[in-house]
Amino acid sequence: MNYTLSKGGRPGAPVPLRAGVKRFVPLMKGEGGAVAISLIAILCSSFATLIAPVIIGHTVDNYIARRDQHGLVLSSLLLLGVYVAGVVASYIQVRTMGSAGRRLLFRLRNSLFTRLQELPVAFFNQNKAGDLISRLNNDTDKLNQFIAQALMQFVGSVFMMAGAGIFLLVLNIRLGSAALLPAAAALLVTRTTGTWVKNRNLKSLQGLGGMSSEIQESLNNFKVIVAFNRLDYFRRKFQAANDVNYAASTAAGIANNLFIPLYSLAGTLAQLAVIAYGIYLIEAGQITLGLLIGFLLYVNSFYQPMRQLATVWSSFQMGLAALERISEVLALESDMPVLPAAEPASESVLSFHQVHFRYPDGKEVLHNISFELERGKAYALVGPTGGGKTTTASLMARLYDPTEGRVLLHGRDIRSYPHAERTQRVGFILQDPFLFTGTVRENIVYGNDEYASCSSEQLASVLAEANLSTLLERFPEGLETKVAASGNSISLGQKQLIAFMRATLRRPDLLILDEATANIDTVTEQLLEEILAKLPASTTKVIIAHRLNTIDNVDQIFFVNSGEIIEAGSMEHAVDMLLHHKRAS
Amino acid sequence: MSPRGAKPPGAAGLLGLLKPYSGLIALLLAMTIIANSLTLAVPRLISHAIDTFGKPGFALGPVVLQFAAVAILIFLFTYGQSIAQTYASEKVAKDLRSRLAGKISVQTYEFVERVSPAKLLTNLTSDVDAVKLFVSQAVASIISSVFVILGASALLLSINWRLGLCILAIIPVIGITLSLALSKVRKLFRKGQETIDWLNRVINESILGSALIRILSSQHIEFEKFSAANTQSLGIGLSILRLFAGLIPIITLAANLATFTILLLGGHFVIAGSMSLGDFTAFNSYLSILIFPLMVLGFMSNVIAQSSASYARLGMILAAKEEPKTGTLTELKGDIAVDNVTLAYGEKKVLKDVSFAAPAGSNTAIIGPTAAGKTQLLYLLIGLLKPTAGAIRYDGEPLEAWDADALHRQVGFVFQDSVLFNLTLRENIAFSSSCDEASLERAIRAAELEDFIATLPEGLDTVVSERGASLSGGQKQRVMLARALALNPKVLLLDDFTARVDSNTEQKILRNVRELYPGITLISVTQKISSVEHFDQIVLLMEGEVLATGTHAELMETSPEYVQIWDSQRSTSTYELHA
Repeated sequence: MNYTLSKGGRPGAPVPLRAGVKRFVPLMKGEGGAVAISLIAILCSSFATLIAPVIIGHTVDNYIARRDQHGLVLSSLLLLGVYVAGVVASYIQVRTMGSAGRRLLFRLRNSLFTRLQELPVAFFNQNKAGDLISRLNNDTDKLNQFIAQALMQFVGSVFMMAGAGIFLLVLNIRLGSAALLPAAAALLVTRTTGTWVKNRNLKSLQGLGGMSSEIQESLNNFKVIVAFNRLDYFRRKFQAANDVNYAASTAAGIANNLFIPLYSLAGTLAQLAVIAYGIYLIEAGQITLGLLIGFLLYVNSFYQPMRQLATVWSSFQMGLAALERISEVLALESDMPVLPAAEPASESVLSFHQVHFRYPDGKEVLHNISFELERGKAYALVGPTGGGKTTTASLMARLYDPTEGRVLLHGRDIRSYPHAERTQRVGFILQDPFLFTGTVRENIVYGNDEYASCSSEQLASVLAEANLSTLLERFPEGLETKVAASGNSISLGQKQLIAFMRATLRRPDLLILDEATANIDTVTEQLLEEILAKLPASTTKVIIAHRLNTIDNVDQIFFVNSGEIIEAGSMEHAVDMLLHHKRAS
Repeated sequence: MSPRGAKPPGAAGLLGLLKPYSGLIALLLAMTIIANSLTLAVPRLISHAIDTFGKPGFALGPVVLQFAAVAILIFLFTYGQSIAQTYASEKVAKDLRSRLAGKISVQTYEFVERVSPAKLLTNLTSDVDAVKLFVSQAVASIISSVFVILGASALLLSINWRLGLCILAIIPVIGITLSLALSKVRKLFRKGQETIDWLNRVINESILGSALIRILSSQHIEFEKFSAANTQSLGIGLSILRLFAGLIPIITLAANLATFTILLLGGHFVIAGSMSLGDFTAFNSYLSILIFPLMVLGFMSNVIAQSSASYARLGMILAAKEEPKTGTLTELKGDIAVDNVTLAYGEKKVLKDVSFAAPAGSNTAIIGPTAAGKTQLLYLLIGLLKPTAGAIRYDGEPLEAWDADALHRQVGFVFQDSVLFNLTLRENIAFSSSCDEASLERAIRAAELEDFIATLPEGLDTVVSERGASLSGGQKQRVMLARALALNPKVLLLDDFTARVDSNTEQKILRNVRELYPGITLISVTQKISSVEHFDQIVLLMEGEVLATGTHAELMETSPEYVQIWDSQRSTSTYELHA
């Protein structure tokens, strides 16, 4: 399955305004209360803003002009009350909607991360870490900003515009139409440019994602860049990404900033239209000068919120673009579902039935492979590099599903096991050991429900029982030695020791070691062999190795080459094939 | 207290950042002022039209023309202002990123690991964006707000200084509230950015470890880690919100109190006869001019706090000292000497007083158990780490005396773990800038990659995926070797290179290296004695100490530890000898 996320250049499908707004609706699920409270609060604070000048005007006309001290004090106190109410309402609005935005950010990040965890390994091979990080951190934040800062302004502005618009039309339908005509034109421009603006924002977010990918790749591989004297490489690659991001961001900024001037222009033109048409109407004797002056003021109460709308419009488009990039990840489904359980069809621990496999858009790497592994036996996979050993092992652990044919675990299709059960049964020590930042202890009990909550003493005795204590001597502070995912605090050999301990402690039915000891010295390796020998007799072992001493004592050797698997009669036979077969790739 | 004083110290640094863009900023300010003045002219145009309408000589045409011209000019200047603002902010961000990248690129490997790539990623993206926000939203509005506040204050004082002072009293109230909130909120913003570092790390590890997570079905553990970071981020976000949700109403209320004061006190003055109704009205209208920029400053305080917190984080990178480049030597012969080298991480000594010499053209193997310090020794040789004591010498001269670039061009290093870039195979192999076509071909031949590359439809132009997921372990390792050989190095450092390659291929490769790169000084960390038996010397390293140095035959005589390692590999050798 193709999991590649779009990287740019692809113009997004046009999103009509209403559909765009609809996309935000499911995000606000569970926030109905917050939205309702904010809505009431923003109406209250708008009302307070509108009523305050009326009170002032009233006070001046009725009390100050008439020198009424008592009325002045009362009226001033009323004004104070309105101000306080307005401030409280706006506090409630900002607080409620801001919290809703932060919660949305929290939920979106969680669901994105959960989705990433549900996707198979193939997804991560096809996408860049930096871009995914950018989607999770930056894009979600753009949505938060829209919800927290813009959504209510958006709603409030639309509300006030609607009210003012109706008022204008009721007051005088002809003059009202003239006043609203520029607004209609501006909205038409907004509507037709919506897709263009959103795509520019999308490109800008993609630029950020691309830059993040460059940084991520270069900094994680910094030692090679230093050792090969290619600091210029980092600078150049970064500069290129920086330039792309700059161009995309500037283009988005220019598009986003079109609307404030545009709506202001509409507002000025509306005043012009009202004056010109109004004067014409007065000359025709149809309206009075007083109506015209009043109308000019009311026009502002329509265009002022419209200008505010423009400030949130770009935030809305940015939010839409961010949502598109987020939805793209959320829409991905794993193509490795768990099938309903079927009756066992074979006795062996694990078997391959006419398995073919190809990587996405690659050539076939395994051709029609069939074999059976028996309980308690040890197997070795040998063969030249690139022959298909790791791929075979990955299919055993269901990191991938075969393109054709079936893999059976305990006679049942491996696809019918729930993930937890399958991973409990199949242990796999990967070729490239990976450690999470933390301590040796955390890494050893990582993913192990049985021992995760053990105290250090309990864990020490568990490790002693499993003969693993001696391996801990390789770490200066034992279980409490600190390790980091990146960096050189511990060696590859030590990482392999941790991976070995982690896998054997889980006591799987089938344990796959993919060059699991490649960087461990041969003396320690003998120790590992002893530990393996003491695993329960029922454990089936599959060992992939280049150093042949590791596979001395296996029951059966498979020679893997060019995507085919041949049973070798003996060690000599295997060595002979290794030496005389042309290396496959 | 003036609004200028209300700015936190960080804002001064931010303004300093803008110095090189003074032209653009001046243009931006000019546009802003023109656009604002034109906007103020509109009411005049309207009142003029209404006043003259009906009088003799009134013509609608010129009024419409004048009005339309002003409308279009406003549009042009406002849009021009936005465009200038966009360019200024994006340019500041871009240049700041380049400066940061330039700084990072001259730092040591150790610096990058210490600061951590996760934090540097936040620095280069999210922190720079916060600074950008300052330019795009805050600069123009702060400066024009300050102008308006000063002007309106002067007008207020000139009309009635007593009432004026009463009103201006709100400015310090707002200023103090702002600066108190800012000092608090900047800490929060800083913590917020640190949480982003944390999120970056968790996400990155969950991606790098994706295969392991799927093998252990440990998705829930990763989710818990992520959720912890995300929950903290939520908490900080809500704290910031609480501060700002409170701050803005306080400023609004303070401004409102001014209106209230004017109405009550000014009304009183009018009633008492000490102020005219006209002055009262004027006072009111100037106050409304004063209040708006004060509110703007309140809103902008959020942006200022966020961007100055981020800028302070960037300051640590920008202020990082560059390693002085002292070395001048360039032509390497290939003699290597390790003199009494000790490497310690705090109390813990990884290498203790290690010494050996490898003359030009010789082959040296370093053998020893896991965690003996072999990889660190190689890192010292290439200068990725610095010894705590002792010296590394090339041709008798200490490492510091060498020009680092020249040395790196002549010393090839094959890392233990595969590091591949999302580039074509050609670019991955010819990674060094000094690699020509002939060197590339020779390196590919030596690393036994010809056959593999021949099977690829796009050959050398095949793009390798990030982290090299499309190649097998052995293929990756051979690409790493070819990358080192493509330098035509005088010295080749191999870190456990043979671990992932079958012994048949390994033999061929070592033969190729001897034939195609005669005279190369080879230092190979390895586990396998059989492949280095014939080397000029073997250094046995255990727990950071050199236990023995000598040829295979000598060590078999003198070192029981060596014999033990040899014994542990005997069974294999019989097969390999037999073959």
